[in-house]
Amino acid sequence: MVPYAEALALQKQVAEDISRGVCGHTLLVCQHPAVITYSRKGGRRHILVSPEEIARRGIALCETDRGGDVTYHGPGQTVFYPVFDLREFGQDLHRYMRMLEEVVIVPLREHFGLNAIRRKGLRGVWVGPYKIAFIGIAVRKWVAYHGLSLNISVDREAFSLIKPCGLDVQVGSINDFFKDEVSSETICDMILEHLKEVFQFEVVQNQDICEKGLKW
Amino acid sequence: MVKVFLPNLGEGITKATVSYWYAEEGAAVVEGAELVEVSTDKATFNVPAPCSGTLMGIAAHEGDMIEVGAVLATIEEDTVSESGEQEAEEA
Repeated sequence: MVPYAEALALQKQVAEDISRGVCGHTLLVCQHPAVITYSRKGGRRHILVSPEEIARRGIALCETDRGGDVTYHGPGQTVFYPVFDLREFGQDLHRYMRMLEEVVIVPLREHFGLNAIRRKGLRGVWVGPYKIAFIGIAVRKWVAYHGLSLNISVDREAFSLIKPCGLDVQVGSINDFFKDEVSSETICDMILEHLKEVFQFEVVQNQDICEKGLKW
Repeated sequence: MVKVFLPNLGEGITKATVSYWYAEEGAAVVEGAELVEVSTDKATFNVPAPCSGTLMGIAAHEGDMIEVGAVLATIEEDTVSESGEQEAEEA
């Protein structure tokens, strides 16, 4: 578990290193202690309960600099933070976000047999009526950070405190669809394999970052 | 005066919304530092100051939707003296 603010600070540091040319594309993967985050643009208008109620439930509240609106992170959800130099991927924000969706959709379809889809005009990934993956990025000097969160076995109740992404959506997790629970490690490995294909990477693991509880 | 434009953010992206100004009119800005954040879809994009100087006219305010290529602001550029030190040019 890595606190949200700590992971964000690390992303910004890595993004700065990449823009200065002293570091290559880096992927950070972790889970966060329960936190509701909201964008500057969206503000708190889609948070449905008081800050006191959020605190009473042991959930942190944090403004952030990514795109999108409000979302929840917590145990049972894995977040993937690709800190990638978009100058090598066509300098195209929408194309990049479609690539992130692809990284989730293909393994869920091919390895787990789930009918994972996009919804027209929206970002993220759905299985049936349930949204299971969420996208939000920020870009500085054409280096992207933030990324995508994937619900594996998340507390659905926590999402009822907000209007996720400012939309009326039903939220689900991958393990809602299986009798025998699939581990987050298994799912992450599949997704990392496919990320390498989508972005055509050779992956080298960085032990320094791993020791902070984040990997790749 | 140096104009700050909304850059091309990718295929099919014709507009973006100004979501956050890092500086106010009249403030000193530094070349390469973040000047304004714009939002499109689920992305924020930070537009850096193209030169060092004084932020003069903000043409698009927070909440405004503007087209790619439109002017976000103008910067009164610092002049460089013969000794190489930067001096603020009088407006």
